[in-house]
Amino acid sequence: MTEMKDPRKTLGEALIEVAEKNDRVIALSADSYGGSGLGPFQARFPEKLLEFGVMEQGIMGFASGLATTGMIPFVVAITPFVTSRPFEMFRNDIGYMRTNVKVVGRCSGLTYSTLGPTHYSLEDVALVRAIPDVVILSPGDPVEIKKAVHAAAEVTGPMYLRIGNQPLPVYFGENHPFQIGKGVMMRDGSDVTIIGTGFALHRAYQAALLLEDVGIHARVINIHTIRPLDTELILQAGRETGKIVTVEEHYIVGGLGSAIAELLSVEHPIPMRMVGVPHQYAENGPYEELLGLYGLQPHQIAETVRAFIQ
Amino acid sequence: MYRLSTKEESQLKWTALNIRKKILRMIRAGKGGHVGGAMSSVEIVTALYFNLMNSDPQNPQWRERDRFVLSAGHKCLVLYAALAEKGYFDESILDTYGDLGSKIPGHPDMHKLPGVETNTGALGHGLSIAGGMALGLKMDHLDSKVYVLMGDGEIEEGSNWEAAAACSHYGLDTILVFIDRNFLQISGPTSEVMNYEPLKERWEAFGWGVREVDGHNLSEIIGNAKEIPFKEGRPSIILANSVKGKGLSFAEGKVGYHFWNATPEELEIAKEDLDLVERELTR
Repeated sequence: MTEMKDPRKTLGEALIEVAEKNDRVIALSADSYGGSGLGPFQARFPEKLLEFGVMEQGIMGFASGLATTGMIPFVVAITPFVTSRPFEMFRNDIGYMRTNVKVVGRCSGLTYSTLGPTHYSLEDVALVRAIPDVVILSPGDPVEIKKAVHAAAEVTGPMYLRIGNQPLPVYFGENHPFQIGKGVMMRDGSDVTIIGTGFALHRAYQAALLLEDVGIHARVINIHTIRPLDTELILQAGRETGKIVTVEEHYIVGGLGSAIAELLSVEHPIPMRMVGVPHQYAENGPYEELLGLYGLQPHQIAETVRAFIQ
Repeated sequence: MYRLSTKEESQLKWTALNIRKKILRMIRAGKGGHVGGAMSSVEIVTALYFNLMNSDPQNPQWRERDRFVLSAGHKCLVLYAALAEKGYFDESILDTYGDLGSKIPGHPDMHKLPGVETNTGALGHGLSIAGGMALGLKMDHLDSKVYVLMGDGEIEEGSNWEAAAACSHYGLDTILVFIDRNFLQISGPTSEVMNYEPLKERWEAFGWGVREVDGHNLSEIIGNAKEIPFKEGRPSIILANSVKGKGLSFAEGKVGYHFWNATPEELEIAKEDLDLVERELTR
């Protein structure tokens, strides 16, 4: 049985590790550090956890100003409240000023399940993609979450890191190479390439296993960095398999699928399908049922791929 | 009450005049610009760069410098003029205002010009950024001050009040905000467009130390600014009552000169207005 880990707990552990290595690392909370998995961080480094209350616009400017003095601020909060709510602050104070701020959105996608569309974040990647130069990290398992946090602290520049809240299977070993901008081929295959990202990755991978059972050999690529995109790996997959399906827990508008379609349409136009949430205010309900409603369960992804290539 | 010496005051008035001339120079180059708020804040910015602030034009990123955040980014002409006057860059750059790729855009870009600390222009961003600067400097045990210039129309943005609360909550007593209170915004008098009064009481309610000065009186500005924090352990704010378009006879106190599309005739009058000030200072 694969080990499952809470991504927020993993995030909190990773932040303690990087703060122990680098004393410029600090964390900013918008009345949400407990739910962000930063309780242990606060206990370990009370002076490095800055609480801003429900101040979800100003917190971005504060982070920017702190970064100008050499601090490395991680702003961690519920995804829509660090992306759509303070979009202009993200764009101007962090993006345009190119400050060394790491914005972490947690409980992304549909993971807030019963709480409904105000708390979902299905457009955050689209919004941040619209801001030039911000690195977008979407780690696929707990090991990648840790490595992404370390990489974010080590590499200078504005970044956005996206995680969910549902327990996530551990797919990679501790020696798994993680490099910003470098995708990972998890499984080779010649009939089609499935490209997954973030907390939808493991469902994309399971779909490939189901396809193998019916004789379809699907390549699986993990894109943990949506920007800069690993264009080489994706184009190679396009050339070698001729068909691509993207899988993400995000609107099909503006996310990973859009980024790859923008690439392929210019460099190597081939048939493509995007699996994601249709562009509508999503339903509320139990998480697994929501995924089923929008075709994001492994057997549904497998069926979409099968129908597409046959 | 604090008073500058006659010599100091005279020197600063000359500097203020030079800054106004440089603003006019950029307007002439670009055939227009946000003149009203630039002119109304000339004395504040003069006091900052030529008396109050520790800064080094030869080393703009000097770690221990005082910071200046121009929250009302559209007033950038006064910032460019002051930086040029201070020697941060060659003043021939001022003649590129309005040109493609100019280092002095219509709202400032810190990556284009030395001495610019922030990219502002959208209103209601500067105070949060300044708060982050003050907090970071404090965490590093530096006593550098963080000065902020805001417009009085700008304080209608709700984000300012998030920042006001946080600066007070974190006891950021190295912050001094100037509100260039010229009582006008694009659509008319601030009291009619969106009343912000009682302004003094609002800031006091957020825990700030508040003072009110004549925004064109250099002794009042400097004397008060030297006394921060006005309230122990809290940020300070000066409501600087000013005249929009100050120094231009046809624009003073007129709502239509927030942005000025300069005609040759007006530019001529503007030059005469500043020449008159020069003759008075020479006397």
